[in-house]
Amino acid sequence: MDLTWNSEEIAFREEVQAFLREKFPADLREKTFRHQRLKKEDYIRWHRLLCERGWGAPNWPKEYGGTGWTPVQRLIFEIETFKAGAPRLLSFGLTMIGPVLMKFGSEAQKAKYLPRIITVEDWWCQGYSEPGSGSDLASLKTRAERVGDKYIINGQKTWTTLAHHADHMFCLCRTDPSAKAQRGISMILIDMRQPGVTVRPIKTLDGGKEVNEVWLENVEAPLENLVGEENQGWTYAKYLLGHERTGIAGIGHCHRELAILKSLAERTTASGESLSLNPRVRDDINRIEAKVLALEMLLLRVAANSEAGPGPEASILKIRGSELQQDLARLQMQVAGADSWPYDPDWMHAEADFHGPGDEFSAAASAGYFDMRKTSIYGGTNEVQKGIIVKHIIGV
Amino acid sequence: MPAWNGKIMDFAYSEEQRMLTDSLRRLMADAWTYDKRRARQKEGKLSQLAWASLSELGVAGLIVPQDFGGFGESPATMLTVHFELGRGVVSEPAISSAVMGVAILSNCENVGLKGRWLPAHAEGEAILAVAWQEEGERYSTRPLCTKAVSSADGFSIEGRKVLVWHGAGSDALIVTAMMDGEMALFLVPRDAEGLMIADYPTMDGSRCATVTLEHVRVGPDALIAKGRAANALFDLAFDYGLTALCAHACGAMEYLTEATIQYLKTRKQFGQPLANFQVLQHRLADMLAHKEMALSMTYVAATALSEKDAARRSHLASMAKVEVAEAARFVGENAVQLHGGMGVTDELEVGDYFKRLTYTDLLLGDTYYHLHRVQNLAA
Repeated sequence: MDLTWNSEEIAFREEVQAFLREKFPADLREKTFRHQRLKKEDYIRWHRLLCERGWGAPNWPKEYGGTGWTPVQRLIFEIETFKAGAPRLLSFGLTMIGPVLMKFGSEAQKAKYLPRIITVEDWWCQGYSEPGSGSDLASLKTRAERVGDKYIINGQKTWTTLAHHADHMFCLCRTDPSAKAQRGISMILIDMRQPGVTVRPIKTLDGGKEVNEVWLENVEAPLENLVGEENQGWTYAKYLLGHERTGIAGIGHCHRELAILKSLAERTTASGESLSLNPRVRDDINRIEAKVLALEMLLLRVAANSEAGPGPEASILKIRGSELQQDLARLQMQVAGADSWPYDPDWMHAEADFHGPGDEFSAAASAGYFDMRKTSIYGGTNEVQKGIIVKHIIGV
Repeated sequence: MPAWNGKIMDFAYSEEQRMLTDSLRRLMADAWTYDKRRARQKEGKLSQLAWASLSELGVAGLIVPQDFGGFGESPATMLTVHFELGRGVVSEPAISSAVMGVAILSNCENVGLKGRWLPAHAEGEAILAVAWQEEGERYSTRPLCTKAVSSADGFSIEGRKVLVWHGAGSDALIVTAMMDGEMALFLVPRDAEGLMIADYPTMDGSRCATVTLEHVRVGPDALIAKGRAANALFDLAFDYGLTALCAHACGAMEYLTEATIQYLKTRKQFGQPLANFQVLQHRLADMLAHKEMALSMTYVAATALSEKDAARRSHLASMAKVEVAEAARFVGENAVQLHGGMGVTDELEVGDYFKRLTYTDLLLGDTYYHLHRVQNLAA
């Protein structure tokens, strides 16, 4: 065991930092640090900057136009970009369907879709959950029937993040209704820009409208849009979820939010001194910082063992990472104290000035806390993740 | 500890308490439904009709002394009432006005003000707000910039109050200000010249306001109290407010736990109701246990309101707030978690209750504040 960063990794970190200093727009940084909502253009703008630098697909191998970075480089990149206030990467293409197509997709699918993910010419969304199939995803009912040279798809998906921006959906459909739950499912690529696709936003606790319900009524997909083999979709779905869980740990997010928390505590006064000197607050911040450092090392350990894709230990990352994101948001709100009472949705959309008292950041503090409640639910609830740990790691 | 007199407390509701709380529960079921609450929130201002229906059942006059047209009810009855209002996740100024505002006026020596405002309050015709917080120091109960000076015809007040709970819906504000180096409490009518109110929504869909006072002139009879008497009145009202807020949170926790139990009984995954899964059953049991501990600690706070020793009273009220805040967070967060994806939408009641519980944690001092207060009171 050698627990030191090697010189290439140190040089790489500096390279990323230099790029961010030079290229990353200050207005985007300000928006993320204040927790204001990002627009589609904001994501695309950041992504295009990465593309220009040749970093459009940080987690992809070189043969598909990716950077070919090691897991450690990817982690350094994630932490440094988040710390600088960069928006998150568009994970539905880059970390979800992209790797699935590389492993299971046809040559035609790879040629058609992969390059357009890197350049964000295509925006993807994930058609997994349904109103009756959340934790029990395998009970999904959306039906795809072969009619001639195409599939006709009918059903309803839900919690579809950013579906209102999406051009394509990778969708889990039931192709063999007679087979046992997991066996009759296929993964089909659906063009969202066709009649029969209806997207309705779901307003969440924080006032945001990032997730949607999607209705599919006699939606068509040519047979070549089937990923891999028919009725093998569950295998691909699980492969994808492993990737999702590692990303969901949100280590970059945690580092950034910790920095915001510390600076907020320093700026806040209680009993005549900075709140960061208050032993109760200071201890809480130190405890959470220890967890952020532990999570980072755990990610490195998992990354080092997962050239072939993450295993069930990704569930540990998902549970602890999601809890940490929640604890950070809660502590930020608590440090803001009474200043977090006002809730100003227009300011969050950067469409109005902030009129409430206190620090500008506090206007979104409660929304941040409410929003983070989703992290222990999405990507498989933490209860489901614990089940995976028990079954696949502990083995009982 | 409070005097026990050798006999055990009576935890059963009296006949009157039972009738009152039954009526309130019916009112909540009828007029504080999801749709009706949301519609009122959208209006952005206090619904006179909603306040009138609460006043009719005695909420506004509950702790107003009988000599001033109220019911002069005990802290125990106040607890039972605010527990019901919490079950209904009431957003009207029942605590800010009918508990805190009334506690200050009822216990002050200014008979003129009492006669002018308390009977009207008991009738539901006057609403009070307590303007105590200012910018610059977290939860400071000492006025920082608001100052009053006495003049030949009364007082002139200047300053800025922030986060005034239900400030815009009030008819009069009780304002804390520094005068001659000590704290003073003034009653400032809403329509006083130089008083400006900017109102905004809060995280739970209720309202608070920034109140600016520019050379606001009030008569000599507007002084409620000053010096030690003002501090004592404020602390008493704060402890009354804390106790009512704790009761409110306990009611909200109870309702939320019931709603979660119902949801787990009906929502099916893996071919069976979620309520069949032991890990979720245990979570429900923990939610229930948290609520019972919180309610018990609220009883302690209510008992303490009759304490002669003010420091002891405040100590127990703060302890209650700490315990209730922890329980409220556990119950609120887990109710959302057990509702899964539906829990994080803005489309279910669970979100309203979770937000209110979050708000109560940060209202009237959060846990950091109250642990600090407990430490100072012990010193």
